[in-house]
Formats: sequence, structure tokens, C-alpha cells
Amino acid sequence: MGKILRVDLTSGSMRDENLPEEPLLKKFLGGQALATYILLHELSPTARPLDSQSMVAIMTGPITGTGLTPGGTKATAIYLSPLTEHTLGRGATSGFWGVYLKAAGYDGVIITGKAARPSYLFIHDGKASLRDAAKVWGKGTRATEDLLREEVGLKDAKVLCIGPAGENLVRAAMLVNDYNHTAAHSGGALFGSKNLKAIVVYGTARPKPHDKARLIDAGSRWRKTLNPRTPEGKKDAGHGLHLGTLPNLNFRSTLIADHARGFDQDRVTLRPCFQCQQLCPWDVEIGEGAHRGVVGHFNAGSEWLDTFFNLGIKGNDVLYLAERINDLGIECSHFSFGAGVAFEAWEKGLLGADKTGGIALEWGNTDTVDRLLEMTAHREGWLGNLLAEGPAQLAEAIGGDAPKWVVHTKKGTPAMHDWRPHFGQMLRELVASGGMKPQGGGSEKPPPDLRYRETWGPLNRDDPTGWPWSQVLAEQHRQFCGIIGGCWFALAPHKPDGLNSVLDSFNAITGWNFTLDEALDAGHRSMILQSLFGTQRGWTAEEDWKDVGPRFLEPVPDGKYKGFTIAKWLPELVYEYYRLSGRHEHTGRPLKSTLARLGLEEFMEWSQHDE
Amino acid sequence: MSEKIGSLFPTGKLIDGKPRAILFDASKCIGCRQCVHACKDWNDHPRTTIYDLSSTNWLTMEPPVLEGLSPHWARNSCMHCEFPVCAAVCPVEAITKYEEGPVVINQEVCIGCEYCIYACPWGALSQDDIRSVVSKDEVTGKAAKCTMCNDRLKENKKPFCVEACPVEALDFGLKEEISEKAGKRAREVGGSTYGAEEAGGGHVIYVLKEKRETYEIRRISSEKYPRHRIPLSLMIKDLLTLRCGLKGKMRALKLALIHPHRLLYRYWPWWRDRRSAWQK
Repeated sequence: MGKILRVDLTSGSMRDENLPEEPLLKKFLGGQALATYILLHELSPTARPLDSQSMVAIMTGPITGTGLTPGGTKATAIYLSPLTEHTLGRGATSGFWGVYLKAAGYDGVIITGKAARPSYLFIHDGKASLRDAAKVWGKGTRATEDLLREEVGLKDAKVLCIGPAGENLVRAAMLVNDYNHTAAHSGGALFGSKNLKAIVVYGTARPKPHDKARLIDAGSRWRKTLNPRTPEGKKDAGHGLHLGTLPNLNFRSTLIADHARGFDQDRVTLRPCFQCQQLCPWDVEIGEGAHRGVVGHFNAGSEWLDTFFNLGIKGNDVLYLAERINDLGIECSHFSFGAGVAFEAWEKGLLGADKTGGIALEWGNTDTVDRLLEMTAHREGWLGNLLAEGPAQLAEAIGGDAPKWVVHTKKGTPAMHDWRPHFGQMLRELVASGGMKPQGGGSEKPPPDLRYRETWGPLNRDDPTGWPWSQVLAEQHRQFCGIIGGCWFALAPHKPDGLNSVLDSFNAITGWNFTLDEALDAGHRSMILQSLFGTQRGWTAEEDWKDVGPRFLEPVPDGKYKGFTIAKWLPELVYEYYRLSGRHEHTGRPLKSTLARLGLEEFMEWSQHDE
Repeated sequence: MSEKIGSLFPTGKLIDGKPRAILFDASKCIGCRQCVHACKDWNDHPRTTIYDLSSTNWLTMEPPVLEGLSPHWARNSCMHCEFPVCAAVCPVEAITKYEEGPVVINQEVCIGCEYCIYACPWGALSQDDIRSVVSKDEVTGKAAKCTMCNDRLKENKKPFCVEACPVEALDFGLKEEISEKAGKRAREVGGSTYGAEEAGGGHVIYVLKEKRETYEIRRISSEKYPRHRIPLSLMIKDLLTLRCGLKGKMRALKLALIHPHRLLYRYWPWWRDRRSAWQK
């Protein structure tokens, strides 16, 4: 039986609770779903995100830390989003921290209240204590990690912490762990609001799989579906190359040029997560230019590249700034879309030096961006404070046409790429809660493992037909992967055995023998819980296409997708997505039949009453 | 095999008697320690520290810094010597050298005398103590180390650390082929090999791109049965006290009578001429 540690920071009390028994556990599994279920029951609907009333639930999943599989690394933090203030906030991280939380004897941690002074939580082999964090308060995430590991005297201890951004309640402050890893999208602000600098974990417990031999077999099949990264692959301009767009000048150009100049002279070391052969995380030692010798620590993805490309920075200055933003602990799209509006307003004469602390906001100036990062993390001055608040708030404060230049979804920010030419990704961004990285994204064809029931495709990239269902399906399998403690970057649904090998690993660990249909239902259940959380706080599905920063829905300005926008198919695309996922197209409330099918009858009062 | 390597220790055969070896290519290793965790996974060891060798951590990657944060990495574990000193000094003959390569401690037989721990030129053996177990009650005091996954080898499977390596820095195969691969690879990277000659040679061969010193690997001569470092005080204590139990002492006595020639190196390691005579 797994355990959850419940910590009340106000009183300093800590107690162990058992994970829920079956059948409840079998319904929610872990991760986002289980944590959201806890919040749905415990978080007052009137709580504000950064009040002491607010709470954070961090949950692993059944496959976190068992070993013998790739991708079994996830810990997911769930809270009321400080970005949207009425939808679910979520940050999920990989690396080693979740594995060692389990080794310390816990499947999850629930944090409520507010500590009287800066503190950190130390969990060591089933024993938890709150300790004074004065020594690390104000420090960056890298120094915090090193100092706390030294303080507890355990080289193997793993640290999940905040930087100055979290301490100063930057709305999208991140949780950072194991150098290379981030639970982005606001968990850091929650920690900061609670005077909680870090959670340090270490232990020796090993989760026991139900059937080890079967797990070894399934894990090995899963591994065969991976497409491991290489150091050479880390020397280009990142995911934007696959999308066919790189963001430039606050989303006003998508053209790909010499953005990656100088990367070929860097020393790259892959630094994989616990037992995962996908090899996403990497370290870089910059090999040329003004920041030669600087070492950066990054995870999968390349949002941090696009973050600074969007502000006119190129080459190794981007990697330098990316290391800075992770050390300060600011979620990168939150900063980039805010700074993008500020730079554009400066260019167009809407913003002057009186508001910027005397700094000229010239595109491509690394020192300026470096300074803005510092100002954001410390809420310094008029501009720093508004960058910390968010792009929509900053645009509003600048006034004039600035609100038209902003990119946001429900005041949160999309993952930092220019997704605009792609139906699947745009729909995914719009229907996400706004307080988290979106899930899903769809595909042109169904995953090979689902061809026993899905026969559609290939979908056309210029035609919306079929994309909403593709998104629903992708969201289901991504949610399933997440709630069992698996990482999407190690999930290869487009490969044969890409879903079944993950499912079989889960079954070997739990002994539950889910079918693929049941796994998708579990993912669907998590989607519904996510929107129910918003419903309880006044969210409706209409916001998904109405409360969007206009720049995000503008036609692509140039390049091979010039003129394309999904805006002409809105709101029908969003409506269809909700209909197909068993929710009302305008309110987003689940239909009674959906709740009944998924065993969520206890939430019937929040269903659509006039379906 | 017993003729080739003398008769200072028990020998055995797992499958076909063909010697195997592990290849560790330091020029490819990224220091991710997936091999270390895989070793724990296969052997169901608790998640004790991965920075020190212990009875529940049979493999470390050096230097002891966070994953990825060093430009050079070296494997630190049993070298599965052709002439295993650990086995030669074991008074109860708990350690067997298998023809396929593995040197394996029989936990049922080990009495925890620590001779092997002191004797190993690489310090690759550990005593089971409170640092390496989850609860005090589990402490056995026995010696432990890498087995080259002899249990998997019986089923013709590779050691689990080799299976786990995500960058092909580990390989496993017939010793002849692995030696050839190691030599070829060393020439490719302009480096050298390590482990094929040291202490008379073993079944783990490294490819080093840089000088040996860069990896902080021990310099061990090619001499077979190098002089071991079992403290005299420990031997005297064993003779005069009930340390390691009466049953263990009886077994040691019985084996001394059966194999008296094995006592000489164990208790008189500096008698070099005699030692070379035994190896014929």
C-alpha cells in the first residue's frame, strides 16, 4: 500500500495517509488524475491561487521509479492556476526526483498552509521534517540544489526547488529539479506563496512490481519503440524546424535562418533521466562567443530556444539566457510573450524609457534580455512587475493596440513554439486549461496499436475534418501515460507497440490487466476531472476560443504556411472537440452519460443539466 | 581450465566453458549511471547510495559526481580476474571462478571473514553492513560483489548492466571477440585498453581514450596473484577467537586439510617463488 505525506505548513504538522484503496485507485491511477481528484474534494472553491488556503498535490504514478522501463520518472504537481485563477494548474517533471520521492517511501505529497519563515521539507526514508531555508532563500535553483544536498549530507538526495521567481510570486514560476528538469507553469509561485523553498528527498525503498519478468519483457519492448536523441541532434534550432516555423519578433515572422549559429562548436553531453534510453536531457558547454565556457542544463524540447529567438536573439546567447531563465525559475513562454509585447511596444513608440527603468528594448540585445529576466524574477520596477504578472496584464497596462499583439490562452501561455500552421497543435493549445502544458496534439493517422478500432486518416493539414477526434484520442493516451507516471517524451504512439508496450509495463507493475480501451478511458477520466475543476470555478468552454491573445490566431505572416489560420474554423473546431469528448460544446460541462460511463457519478451536480 | 589457472580456488562451468568478457568503452560512456541502477534492478537491491561500492551497490561510475558532470567516466566493479585473488584467499572456498568468466561468491558459504575484501587489488568487494541495507536486522556481514549476472549467463543472456547501457558503452561476448573489439576501438580513438593484462588479466576490458590516470583507475601490475593486503592482525584474530563462528572455522579447517597447498598464498603472500611454482 502506497503512502501520501500530508504537510500543513502553517502548523508544521505532518502525517502519513494511505493511497486510496481500489476501486478508487484503479479509476485514477496516480499523477494528475489522482491529484485533481484530491483537490476537487479538498480545495475550497473560493480559495485564491496564492492564498494560504490554497494547496499543492504532487503525485507520482505506478510506474514512477520501478525501474526496468524507460520513461518511468514522472511527478506531477497540481494546484489552482495562478495564471488563469480559475482552471487547473499543472507542472510535471522528470529526472530523478519522483523516483527518489518513492524511494523515500511516498507516492505523493499534499501541501497546505503557509510556513512562518522560508523553509524546506526534507523527506528521508519515511521521515519528514521542516527545516530553515534562510541559507538558500534568494539563491538560484542550481545553487539551491547544491547547497541543500550538502546541508543534508547525502550525495544521492534529490532536490525540487524554486528560484527567485518563485519566491517573488512570478505567476508562471517553475519548480526545478535535478538541474535539467522543470515542472513549469506556476508550481513555483505556489511554493513561494507558502514560503516553501524546496523538497529534498532520499530513501532506499524499491517499489515492487507485480510481475518482474513480465515487466522486463514489456520494458524492453517499450525501449525498442524509442528513437534515442544524439548530441548532434542538440545542435540545431530545435522543434521549430519540424513545425516549419521559428518565432521571430513576437510572432511577426516565422522564417528560419541562422538561429543555431555557433551551436556546432559547443560540447554537448546527454544526461538521461532515471533508466530512460530516450536520452532527452542534455548539458552544454558553450564553445564560442561571449559566453564561452558557460554550462547549461536542459531537458527535452526546445521551448527555451524559441523563447529567445522570439526576442531576436540567436546562437549561443540563446543557450546562455536559457540557462539563466532556468536558474531564476521562470517559465519561458510566460517571459517571452510578455517581453515580446514590450519590445514591440517600444518599437512602435507605445512604451518609453520611463516605464522600462531606462532600458532601450532593442530586439536581439542579449544584455537587455538578461536584465529583463532579473527584473522579472524580482518583480523589479513597473516592467519587471508586469512581466511577472503575465503577457495579457502587461499588454493591458501598456494600452493602445498592445493587447492585439499578445499571445495567451485564458491568460496562461502556450508552450513556446509557433504552432499556428497546425490544426492538431493549435486545438490542443486552445482547449488546454491555460495553466499547464497542453496534452494531445493529434496525429494524421491513428496510432498503429489503435487500428483495431480507429480506421480514419490520413488527415489533411489544410482541412479541419477529423482533427478534433484525433486530438481527443491523443489527449486520452497522453493523459494515461502521464497518470501512470510515464513521460510523453518516451511515448511513441506512432510506432507499432508504442502504446501496448507501455500498457503492458503498467499491467506488469500493477497486476491490473487493463485493456487499451480501459487505458484510454482512464485518460478520458483525467480530462474530465481537469475540466470539472474549472467548471467548479466558473470556467466555460467558450473561453477556449474567446479568451485568446489575438496574435495567436492571426494568419501566419510569412514562410511556407503564409496566410494560414485556424481562426476561420472557430468556434466549430472547439465545439466539435467538446462534443466528441462527451462534454457540452458551450459550457464544457460533462454530459450525465459521460460521467456515468466513466464512473464519475459523484460529480453529477456539475454535469450539463439541459443536454 | 583448472590446469591453466592452478588449483588455488574452486572452479566451475555454467554452460559451454567458453570464456566471455564485458567491454567498457570509456570513450562512449556519458556517466548516466543507468548501468548502476540496472544492476540494482536486476538484483532487487535497495536504492542505497550509488556513489560507493557496497553489498547492495556492486558497480559505481567514477568520479562520484552527479550524472553527466564529468568529461571522463570509469567503471568500478569486479574485473572477474582469470586468477582471482579473492577466491584464492577465501578460507571456506566460497568463491568460484567459472570458465565462462564470472567470479561468484556463494552467499550460503561466506562467513564474513573479510579476507577477500582486503585482498582484491581493485577493492571491488564489500561487506554487508548497515550502510548497505535498509534495516539493521538485515545485516549479514558477508562479502558481496558483481556476479557478471551469472544467473543470466546460464540462460545465455547478457549481464543486465550491458543490456541497460543507452549509448553502447558496454558490450558483452566471447572474450576473444571482445578483446579484438577493444583493441580495434582503442586504436580508433588513439587510446589504450585496460584490464586484459592487469593482475594476470580479467574478463572486463576497458577502452580508455585518455591516459589511465585521467580516469583515476588503479595501476595494477600484470603479475598474477599480486601480494595481498590482508592484515596480519585479522588473521591472528581468526586463529585465536570465535570470529566468523565455529561452523565456519570447522569448514576452513576441513578445507585446509583437503587443500593444504592453498594455505601458502593465503597466509604467506610474499613468498613469490613458491607462488610462481603453483601457477604451473
